[in-house]
Amino acid sequence: MDSHSAASRLTDEPWYLPLADEVQIFEAAYRARLPVLLKGPTGCGKTRFIEHMAWRLYRESDSARRSLELPLLTVACHEDLTATDLVGRYLLSGNETVWMDGPLTRAVRSGAICYLDEIVEARKDTAVVIHSLTDHRRVLPIEKTGELLDAHADFLLVISYNPGYQSVLKDLKPSTRQRFVSLVFDYPAIEIEATIIAHESGVNAALAQRLALVGEKIRNLREHGFEEGVSTRLLIYAAQLTAGGIEPRRACDAAIARAVTDDAEVQRAIGAIVDVILP
Amino acid sequence: MTATAARDLAGRVCFTDIQRFLSLFAQGLAGKFLHVKVIESQATGGGAKRFIDGESIHVPADIACFSAREHNLGAYRIAVLHQIGYLIEGTLEFDLADLLQQHPRPALLRRVFGTLEDMRIEAAMRRRYPGARDDLDRVQAHALALRPQTQPMRPVPALVEALLQYSLGAARDALQASTRGELLAKLIDTAAVVQRQGARVADSAHAALRICAELGNLLRRLPRHFVTPTTPEEFARLRDSMESLNDDEFSASDAAGLAFDYRGQLMTDPSAKRRTGGQFAAAGMETHAAPGTVAPGTRDAADARDAPHAAATIARAPVAAGPRSFLYDEWDFHRQSYLSAWCRVYEQRLRGDDFGFIGGVRSRHAALEKEVRRRFGSIKPLSWQRVRRTSDGDELDLDGVIETVIDRRTGHDADSHLYVRRDRARRDVSAAFLVDMSASTDFPLPDPAAAMTAPVDAPAAQPPDSGLYLYGGHDESPAAVSTPKRRVIDVAKDALALMCEALQTLGDNYAIYGFSGDGRHNVEFHVAKDFPDRLRSSTWAALGAMQPRRSTRMGAAIRHSITKLAREPAGMKVLIIVSDGYPEDHDYGADRTDREYGIQDTARALQEAERAGIVDFCITIDPAGQDYLRRMCAPSRYLIIDDVTALPRELSKVYRTLTS
Repeated sequence: MDSHSAASRLTDEPWYLPLADEVQIFEAAYRARLPVLLKGPTGCGKTRFIEHMAWRLYRESDSARRSLELPLLTVACHEDLTATDLVGRYLLSGNETVWMDGPLTRAVRSGAICYLDEIVEARKDTAVVIHSLTDHRRVLPIEKTGELLDAHADFLLVISYNPGYQSVLKDLKPSTRQRFVSLVFDYPAIEIEATIIAHESGVNAALAQRLALVGEKIRNLREHGFEEGVSTRLLIYAAQLTAGGIEPRRACDAAIARAVTDDAEVQRAIGAIVDVILP
Repeated sequence: MTATAARDLAGRVCFTDIQRFLSLFAQGLAGKFLHVKVIESQATGGGAKRFIDGESIHVPADIACFSAREHNLGAYRIAVLHQIGYLIEGTLEFDLADLLQQHPRPALLRRVFGTLEDMRIEAAMRRRYPGARDDLDRVQAHALALRPQTQPMRPVPALVEALLQYSLGAARDALQASTRGELLAKLIDTAAVVQRQGARVADSAHAALRICAELGNLLRRLPRHFVTPTTPEEFARLRDSMESLNDDEFSASDAAGLAFDYRGQLMTDPSAKRRTGGQFAAAGMETHAAPGTVAPGTRDAADARDAPHAAATIARAPVAAGPRSFLYDEWDFHRQSYLSAWCRVYEQRLRGDDFGFIGGVRSRHAALEKEVRRRFGSIKPLSWQRVRRTSDGDELDLDGVIETVIDRRTGHDADSHLYVRRDRARRDVSAAFLVDMSASTDFPLPDPAAAMTAPVDAPAAQPPDSGLYLYGGHDESPAAVSTPKRRVIDVAKDALALMCEALQTLGDNYAIYGFSGDGRHNVEFHVAKDFPDRLRSSTWAALGAMQPRRSTRMGAAIRHSITKLAREPAGMKVLIIVSDGYPEDHDYGADRTDREYGIQDTARALQEAERAGIVDFCITIDPAGQDYLRRMCAPSRYLIIDDVTALPRELSKVYRTLTS
């Protein structure tokens, strides 16, 4: 079922540091109800960005959409996720079958943002339901109930995918890709990454700067078995462990070196890089 | 053995034990691959080659300066950090040769400039790598302890030496007490500029020129400080002072007296600047130029093509723009051990502009294409299958629902597996085709028409042992090449093109790679089609762009193919190698004639493939292939084709047999 979906009430503003003009582009896309594709490596802030944008669009004081209880419905796609999982299915309840909307249908009805994370992982039949929602029709055909559901005026579809993720055999078809405005993310520049690390973990700016430098250097080793380098998320984890009283080098070992590779020699080299960069 | 010697031995760190670690450490910090090499000594015939050229780092074969192993390891790290400093801090972007040419005392200027650059880099190191400060202090103190006293020296050498000792952390007061204090203080003040944050290589050059000017003035000032010589000793002292500006005595490296040379030696060859110029900005994050002839930047262009037009790029540009490289171990048959991180494989995309390639293949092999398609079409599986009684699915399973309702009404536990889902009954196969692109594939095939009309006593093809030249032999007569002939590589490309079309029908996931190279540091791995790629016109053009190149270092190419196949989730993985001769490279073994080394390494790589769950198969178009293939793989795992033109048909047969 949709056990992999998560709804957020977004009562507090998710902190997000804009890297370029992505906030403006997303807002413009939302005004025109253009679907958005977020593209970038793991742990670079795609999910945080969409949470932040949902808060801006649905929770800011001047928003007409503040009454919507669940402004963002997120679905973590996996290889067994089908269109049924998105749209809904009949459940057996007592002695009768009852229809249960899937997360996409709920978002289409309520006018929320539906965020399909790692969409290329899902089965191909999901493209069928996506396509009709991403062009001028903005409808969702529900085959099993015979319903053709018009999308709520506030509904927006956002998908993400990670082109560098090596286990992915599939790719987004041009017919799907070209229905979306694309925002391309990468790990932020070192100063920005340091700001993010400091904010998310509470460590001081100097240590955050050092950790960002560690991240930059370790990404130079990405050809040695970890294609995407170390994510901003892992750098934040290391900082959070440090803020929690763990010695910084040990924190980096646990949160970075051991997390990105199983190659003992590469772990050792990462340890040495951490060792010389940290004070 | 004395206790001290035993202690030294216990703490000794050898380069061979930490080679890969140091290489990774250097690559991480420099942002590019650097060859970490041992300093060749005079004894080994290599001379004291330790020049910093932007491509290499030179370290001692072993370090046992300290009793603790971690301190000796730290000394290795300092050597790497210092020499990376030349790259990151912009030393190599400076045209030192030009500066020296214009100076009357180039050796002195070079010595002073080198000392100031070392000061600048080590000051920057302390700021950039605070965790390395203790190691640096230890290494400097050790080096300083071995420096000579300045008091017996003549004035200028004494001042130059004092400056070097200051750069190694000697106390300023102590130095000034022993060496022309007032002037040395002035020189140190001049030199200290380079230790400030933000100091550039130009600051070192300016300071070096000023210091050399002060040292030049010293000679003119000397008589005012000396009484007129009246004794032979005073004459000798004055003569020594006069000669102290003999430039040649500064030509030797100032590192000669260091316990180990962690600082490296600056080149004066401006080509070093050209090789590295502009690559290392402050962040040191740029990539390196590709070896070989594949144009650098092609990946950038590819990324640009792939990116949707509406995309807005956020954050910095992708770091890696050049070909990616990978290090692989190699099996040393003679030592019976692996050489760690021995081969560097550069992976690069093939790009071609022959978009008519596939049209030519289809016209040449029209009948064969239909045959192969038919053969593969017959094994295409059903597209979907219904799986009943699953915990979730597209529809409720009516039988399951009825049973569940009955169970509930009768008070029994109800089964929650009530759904039917559709699963694709797909062939779960990923296949990689690895094609030999060595120079020998350039040889033209015998013309069948000419063969039929040739006289009976026409010279036979070269015997297999004639080396690489298996097809067409060494015949250099103009008649033999007067008409364009198809080559081994052309037939291999045709065979792969037909396979591509057939595999599209079958729905298998596949990749096509070519390999060649030139030595262990430059194994080329060309990607015509990777697993995630869709078959499109550019794929055909890439396949058409496969051309004969250099050597056949097969082991490294197989290992890289294993890495790529290992990432595929398929249940069945197949590696088919198409080659035309035995594994060969100029450093693939003790010498070029050492065939056994390459054969054994390839055999080992094939064993690694099998251990990784990959079904491997070698197709060789070498009549002498039996000789080495039987030593490389099991009889059921190879095929020798006498007639190369039969390759397209045989390849499809092999594939079907392997994957059915």
